[in-house]
Amino acid sequence: MITQELKQVILKVLRLDDWDIKDETLAAHVPGWDSLNHVNVILAIEKHFCVRFKPIEILKLKNIGDLQRLVSSKLEKAG
Amino acid sequence: MIKELCGGNEVIWNRWYKNAERTPDRDAIIHWVGGEAPLRLTFSAIIVAAEGLAATLVERDIGKGDVCAIIMRHNRVLYPLYLAMVCVGAIPAILAYPNPRLHPDKFRQGIEGMSLRSGLDWVFTERDLDETIRPSVEKQDSTIKGVHFPLEWKKGNGLNGEKLNNVVNVHRRMSSSDPLLLQHSSGTTGLQKAVLLSHRAVLNHVKNYGKAIELTENDKVVSWLPLYHDMGLIAAFHLPLAFGIPSVQIDPFEWVVVPSLLLEAVSRERGTISWLPNFAYNMMADKITDNELDGVNLESWRLVINCSEPVRHESHEKFLRRFQGYGLNPLAISSCYAMAETTFAATQAPPETPPATLALDRIELAKGKIKIAQDAAQARICVSSGKTIADCQVRIVDENRRDVVEGAIGEIAIKSMSMFEGYRNYPEKTVEALSDGWYYSGDYGFTKGGEHYVVGRKKDIIIVAGNNVYPEDVEDVVGKVEGIIPGRVVAFGEEDRELGSEQIAVIAESGISNKQRQRKLKLEVIKAGMSIDVSITKVYLVPPRWLIKSSAGKPSRRANKERILSTGEATATGWNIHDYAGTEAGYTKSSQIG
Repeated sequence: MITQELKQVILKVLRLDDWDIKDETLAAHVPGWDSLNHVNVILAIEKHFCVRFKPIEILKLKNIGDLQRLVSSKLEKAG
Repeated sequence: MIKELCGGNEVIWNRWYKNAERTPDRDAIIHWVGGEAPLRLTFSAIIVAAEGLAATLVERDIGKGDVCAIIMRHNRVLYPLYLAMVCVGAIPAILAYPNPRLHPDKFRQGIEGMSLRSGLDWVFTERDLDETIRPSVEKQDSTIKGVHFPLEWKKGNGLNGEKLNNVVNVHRRMSSSDPLLLQHSSGTTGLQKAVLLSHRAVLNHVKNYGKAIELTENDKVVSWLPLYHDMGLIAAFHLPLAFGIPSVQIDPFEWVVVPSLLLEAVSRERGTISWLPNFAYNMMADKITDNELDGVNLESWRLVINCSEPVRHESHEKFLRRFQGYGLNPLAISSCYAMAETTFAATQAPPETPPATLALDRIELAKGKIKIAQDAAQARICVSSGKTIADCQVRIVDENRRDVVEGAIGEIAIKSMSMFEGYRNYPEKTVEALSDGWYYSGDYGFTKGGEHYVVGRKKDIIIVAGNNVYPEDVEDVVGKVEGIIPGRVVAFGEEDRELGSEQIAVIAESGISNKQRQRKLKLEVIKAGMSIDVSITKVYLVPPRWLIKSSAGKPSRRANKERILSTGEATATGWNIHDYAGTEAGYTKSSQIG
């Protein structure tokens, strides 16, 4: 389940008012989220949640649900 | 390694074999994977692996002259498979692995277009793409005889007996003028032009280009470039393999997600040479964080060569500012001008010398004139792509293909020892581009003091992050969107200074004037672009009969681009993907593809 907070960060980077983002949604299927913009989305999430992703963690993401789980696990560890 | 396969003729397999004999334990390919130990294939190991795969190819009746499309991500099998195809005399053609956003129909259309031009015989791919590719194979008039999944192949008994005799016979008859490989220009709807290159063309190029960049035994290439692109295939794969130096290969899908992978690989492997399209300089300078650079040392990098997009001075400066503190030598920044039709490079800036620059008056340049800028605010810094490499000639010609005086702008024409012989099965395009041994590039430029500067394009092709996009492809798909008047669309490239590349903009006529419905329509246009894996970043909706027609009666891309950008109408009617706001039912649901 994608949280509203993560969804809003993504929508803000892509400057979309809204989009139906589900666990299984692929980045490539969201307007504006192309390969060149991917890094902008990741940087915005890191900044917003004050987390840091390792390259291997980013490379393993298959869909937005994976991204949500990664963010949640980072926040959990940070306590 | 099988000695019988190595004869005296100057073909590429013999070069690879000799390199393996000379330095068997030296790394040939270092397959770099983020967060994992790299996979190392030595010169002898890659030959042995290729021989094993060649046996499987023979078992499957794949042989001399067969065109073999490879549609695979970078993986451990890709490199020896490519060599194995060459080993059996087949012709490898690496094609782009489809992005998930690309609609399967469009992907198939691309494959079928390539099949038409190239006569594709076999497709080598990953199981995930089977369902997508299969209909193209099963089509009644398809040239494709079958699909193979090399990642699933079991290790066989190797190349011996009858299979070996078969391949030895092929090698005995092999000549340097035989076709070695096929490269395709980009495009998604069958506009691809296939360039067939011989063993001789590639080997000559390795010699001449190697000389131009002063390649030595101590060099090590590091690349994230896709192998379907001439810069990735020739510069970063064939050149090191034939010269006998290592090449670190990073999957482009991984690099674009984690751009610091390139710097990590250069630093850890002590890489010396990389080629990059211009946007990569901006992307790495802007998007790599200090944390990712922890421990990175770029002192070994002696050449970072800007190629395949217009070279932008600001991008070089930005890159240097960002990475000089990490050991990047300012003299490593370099440039070249290259194209698949001449195997790769035609010009190259000399190593250890910053590419020459000229500050030209931007307004005069737009008129096709060269004038040194008096006012810095009006200057466009043009970066030289260097001097002509050995066995290559460059002319600047007018519209009648006559030489212009030095310093005047004209079309760049090239004659090279490594020239292609024409587009495969595309005589009409060959006649347009090739005449009396000269290739007319469609690029505009000028020469000053032996330095060649590329300043524009005759063709309307759009170059986005190093990839060629045909406006026809975009116009075709946008013209089919309901609400857009068919045939009343133009697509063009708009400079994006932050990205250091072009982005795609579209002007489309529509009878819809309601703002809310226009917003919906614009999003449909964006989605149509996504279906052919093209990111349309700006949509300008204009009323019927707005577009200016050319003398041929078709909407003129150039005139309409100038009109929309210069008259302020862009502000009035333009819409940027970043301005979208809407959640209308019917397009909030994203669909899974493939």
